[in-house]
Amino acid sequence: MTSASRRWSLLVAWLVALAALAVYALHTLHVSTDLRSFMPPPRTPDQKLLMDQIGEGPGSRLLLLSIDGAPEARLAALSRGLAARLQADAHFEQAINGAFDPSTLDDTLLPYRWLLSPTLDTHALDADYLADQLGQRVEDLASPAATLLKPLLPRDPTLEVLALAQRWSPPKAPLVRDGVWFSADGAALLLAQTRAAGFDPAAQGAAIDALQAAFNALPDAGAAKLTISGPGWFTVLINERTRGEADRIGLVSTLGFVLLLVLAYRSLPSLLLAGLPVLSGGLAGIATLALLFGSAHGITLAFGFTLLGVAQEYPIRVLSHRRAGEDALASVRALWPLLATAIVSAAIAYLAFFASGVTGLQQLAVFTIAGLLAAGFSTRFLLPRVLPARFRDVAAHAWLARAVGALDALPRPRWLPWLLALLGLVVLWRAPGPMWENDLAALTPVPQDLLLRDAKLRGELGAPDVRYLLVLHATDADGVLALSESIEPRLDALVRRHALDAAELPSRYLPSLATQRARQAKLPDRATLERALAQASAELPFRAGVFAPFVDDVEAARTLAPLTPAAFAASPLGARLAAMLVQREDEWLGLATLSGVHDAAALDAFAESTRGAVRLLDLKAASESLVVAYRERILRALGLALGLLALTVVVALRSARRAWHVLAPMSLATLLVIVVERASGLSLSLFHLVAVTLAAGLGLHYALFFERPVADPAEARRTLHATLVCVASALLVFGLQAWSSLPVLRAIGLTVALGVGFHFCLSILMARARR
Amino acid sequence: MRFSGLLERPLILHGELEYLGPGRLAKRVDAPYRERMRVENGEASVQRGERPVRTFPLGQAPELEGFLRGFAALLGGDAATLERDFTMTASGAAHAWRLVLEPRDARLARRIREIRVDGTDATPLCFTTREGDGDVGVLLVDRLAHAKLAVQVSQPQVDALCRGIDAK
Repeated sequence: MTSASRRWSLLVAWLVALAALAVYALHTLHVSTDLRSFMPPPRTPDQKLLMDQIGEGPGSRLLLLSIDGAPEARLAALSRGLAARLQADAHFEQAINGAFDPSTLDDTLLPYRWLLSPTLDTHALDADYLADQLGQRVEDLASPAATLLKPLLPRDPTLEVLALAQRWSPPKAPLVRDGVWFSADGAALLLAQTRAAGFDPAAQGAAIDALQAAFNALPDAGAAKLTISGPGWFTVLINERTRGEADRIGLVSTLGFVLLLVLAYRSLPSLLLAGLPVLSGGLAGIATLALLFGSAHGITLAFGFTLLGVAQEYPIRVLSHRRAGEDALASVRALWPLLATAIVSAAIAYLAFFASGVTGLQQLAVFTIAGLLAAGFSTRFLLPRVLPARFRDVAAHAWLARAVGALDALPRPRWLPWLLALLGLVVLWRAPGPMWENDLAALTPVPQDLLLRDAKLRGELGAPDVRYLLVLHATDADGVLALSESIEPRLDALVRRHALDAAELPSRYLPSLATQRARQAKLPDRATLERALAQASAELPFRAGVFAPFVDDVEAARTLAPLTPAAFAASPLGARLAAMLVQREDEWLGLATLSGVHDAAALDAFAESTRGAVRLLDLKAASESLVVAYRERILRALGLALGLLALTVVVALRSARRAWHVLAPMSLATLLVIVVERASGLSLSLFHLVAVTLAAGLGLHYALFFERPVADPAEARRTLHATLVCVASALLVFGLQAWSSLPVLRAIGLTVALGVGFHFCLSILMARARR
Repeated sequence: MRFSGLLERPLILHGELEYLGPGRLAKRVDAPYRERMRVENGEASVQRGERPVRTFPLGQAPELEGFLRGFAALLGGDAATLERDFTMTASGAAHAWRLVLEPRDARLARRIREIRVDGTDATPLCFTTREGDGDVGVLLVDRLAHAKLAVQVSQPQVDALCRGIDAK
């Protein structure tokens, strides 16, 4: 076989292997987008509850909808049509638009109205009360409202159903016009509750697609416009925006990167082939994750691909270090000890992440180690065998020789690093703003105008606050309901004092068994009721026997078994209650949603006074405490990683002094990146930490290669060439990201670009072997 | 007065109905009980006897709103609103005419089958509302407001009263 055909068959085999790996990985790996699978295991009760509630909480699964751009009657018809479609849609648990639906109480539940409504707490069903009620019904019959009330009267002359409907309607309902909710500025309003968790972009995306399809399928939606808001919508929106911007930046930087490499190596085939090791690394990483875990979180993958950016250096080193008169394999062999040191020390360092005990970090370690090893070994054993034989030795460039000479001539004061380190520590100590950013959402902020619109809609709809929840603890579900009843007056007092606008307690939907029994005991027997009814209606024109269905219902209600949450669950309102009651190992929790919280401290003080029976859960604080826990694990892992790295480098170089020359610039540059970011008022997030780690990985390469003692001046030129290409490409890719409008991309881009700059300068200053 | 399947005898009220301008109505009942109702700005406020005033937005009951809007338009002679909300059929002669309005809106039509107005020359005398379930409300105005009615007056009798203008 000729060398050319050998090259081609190897290349084809490589590509086929990559394709097979890709097919396997794509079919096996389940990429989760739910924030929970990224978080560390919860420890405090609040964190545990948060894990259940993040996204799953009734508030965060709520989408706020408004329809405008058409006459009122049309908007009302669209609102009714949309609500009906969403109620039938599997993506949605419920959709409400303010329309009063008497069928929420079906025939089996109707007799329970005496047990559910608070009427019997203050009145008895005696002749006096009935006379008063029936008198009012006569007046109702003579009023225009008669046509609405008539169908209810024979069974429900005291209009208990209306009292319940009022109790169950949202605490602060919007205006109702044409039978449905309207905002003050004339848009129809709806609330839709998704089944999917609020912070799961993929599932929310599916629900929102279904919602939009349902709206577009409405007859004569015409010019009317549907506006969506709420946590789920923001999740989807942010995800799209981030991906869109990352893709745009990625495209531009890829073009720039290609251009740079073409300029550096003047060979398109070499360039295309140089992409294969990183591709191999990425696919190997995904395939290993698929094999070991079966699933990974989207953020873990994004972090992993960021860290794998180091591997792009391997083929660049190979291309720059090819020597004239020697085949690629021989050049790589000369380079390999150092490259292997870099790869192995990075892989060993990432083992520390594996020991962290956080699934997300373990996956990150597995992905990165597998990726680095695959990229490294394919660079060593495959790439040189497929590179074209024709190439240009970069050492022949005259400008490189001049650049090496200039660098050699640079003064390198030994005190400078120490001064920089000292200054850095002082600045770090005095830096403005908090050291850490614990709010993950701050990195993917929702645009201000959308937040304002959300606040406006939320206010108009009286929709619950997504941040606060009142948590009720009891040994069983009925205990939760009893507790809920007992705190109702105190919460009402807080509402009157404007600490909050409204609270939605579980007992609003279902009273405790004891309360139901107490009400039941007040129901008169058939004979007594009939006597009272006859007495009450003696003077009134009602037809005899017209209230027989009412008497039957009361009689039936006397012997009903009180309604339990489980039995209640069958009704549409039961689903709402079920979402508010959560069973834990040995206790039950009730989740009361709050709307318009103005004075969290007053609520907290109230919760304190219940001695643990009721707690105010601040979802934001709880999620931040999770991020803190996560960061502490990353920091611990990074500390351990640094130790392992130092050890590996010492062993590989067989000299503590030489290892110091490699590790000192790397550590100082990392410190300086943090110093600059802190001095400009940035708070550090998880994304910054990952970016710092990537930059350190790149810096390790610069220092290792500069530190390598070389006798051959041409080899020194090749080293400088390779490093310059690496630095330029990293600056290009990450520098572009640093200009992004999205803080999360800016955090990564700025940190890596700064890091690359510092690592490069300090490696020259501190690591470079002087000849 | 009102004829209802729930009642064994018609309910007869006395009072005053006042048209206050487009979309605004006031109703006062003096006997057999006292009630004041006002409809304006899409809100109805009702005070019965000495009980506190209750106010509720009409939007919660679109059918009610449609009916009241029609009624106010009828009293105010607002032909454009009537034409939009109802199909109208006129019959009879100038001194004894009948106007029948049927709601165009399907939801309102389920509740209100028709509103019938009987009158003479420029004066309407009877407003008869036939509801979906067969109940009938009759408003006797002008000179008929003081007509003597038997306690067990029947629907045909009231109907004759409304149409019996010729006989007089």
